[in-house]
Amino acid sequence: MFMKTFEEKWTAWIDDQLTGRELDEFEASLPDKAAAQAEKQSAKQLGSLLREQMAPVLNNAEFFSHQLRERLDREDRRSTARPVSTGWWTIRRLLWSGATALAIFVICAVVVIHNKPSPDQSEYLTQILNYRVDPAVSPNATITMFEKKDEHVTVLWVDGLQSLPPEYAAK
Amino acid sequence: MERRALLFIAIFAIALSSSSVATRGDQTVWSGIVIASNSGPPEPTPTELTPLEGTLRQLFGYTRLHLIGEARKTLKSGQEDWLATTKYFALRVDARGQKDGAYVLNLKLLQENKVLLETDAQLSKASPLVIRGPQIGDGQLVIVLMVQ
Repeated sequence: MFMKTFEEKWTAWIDDQLTGRELDEFEASLPDKAAAQAEKQSAKQLGSLLREQMAPVLNNAEFFSHQLRERLDREDRRSTARPVSTGWWTIRRLLWSGATALAIFVICAVVVIHNKPSPDQSEYLTQILNYRVDPAVSPNATITMFEKKDEHVTVLWVDGLQSLPPEYAAK
Repeated sequence: MERRALLFIAIFAIALSSSSVATRGDQTVWSGIVIASNSGPPEPTPTELTPLEGTLRQLFGYTRLHLIGEARKTLKSGQEDWLATTKYFALRVDARGQKDGAYVLNLKLLQENKVLLETDAQLSKASPLVIRGPQIGDGQLVIVLMVQ
């Protein structure tokens, strides 16, 4: 056994937990037994008052604590019962999907650019770069160049060539 | 998954290459020697000239278009040359490559052995070239070149 301090003995005395010889020795050690008895009564009254006032609060605390524990248990059970889902979008699939989408975009872009009509097919007319007649053969020849833009036709109009007889129209 | 993606890309690549082959097709230059006149029996306008029939009639004032010589050349290298001939005339065409999407052509209109006219033209794919030649009888010699 080890020796109790005065404070421990005092608490035990107030709680009526000292008995026999220990009780006698403690009460004999008190300098003013009447004042101590009054203090003991006061402490007991305070204790009973606190128990009366705090009991509902403690009951509520236990109730919420119980509910919280049950909820945690339910969630634990649910999380262990739920199958582990890995998801369809794995990194590899994401990479392949991205690469495929990029390839499709590039191919479509190339096809669109490739099939775009070139400007020469829609806008530009045939151009005459230069022309010449042999003055020895056709000394009176004159050449005019013009464009019929509505019909997209370029015309090289040669005047003054020597007229020929109808037989020159033979195949 | 990887195999499917590769297959998908391969199909698109094949489609792209076939499309590019189809659109890159070689083009043909048609050259014709025509007599435009108002005389002679009526005859249908040659098929090649049908798109130009109105323009030619308006230009020359003749109603009848009679094809006396023609040549059709498919250009692959753009450096080809060819000849359209009649009994007295010849049109010699010497292709000299492409420029700005058009064929650069050197044309010589020959009457027997004489060069009546020489010209360099840049023949656009959507724009025919019409050359007015000499008067023949009561008609007109007309040269037409077009990309088909």
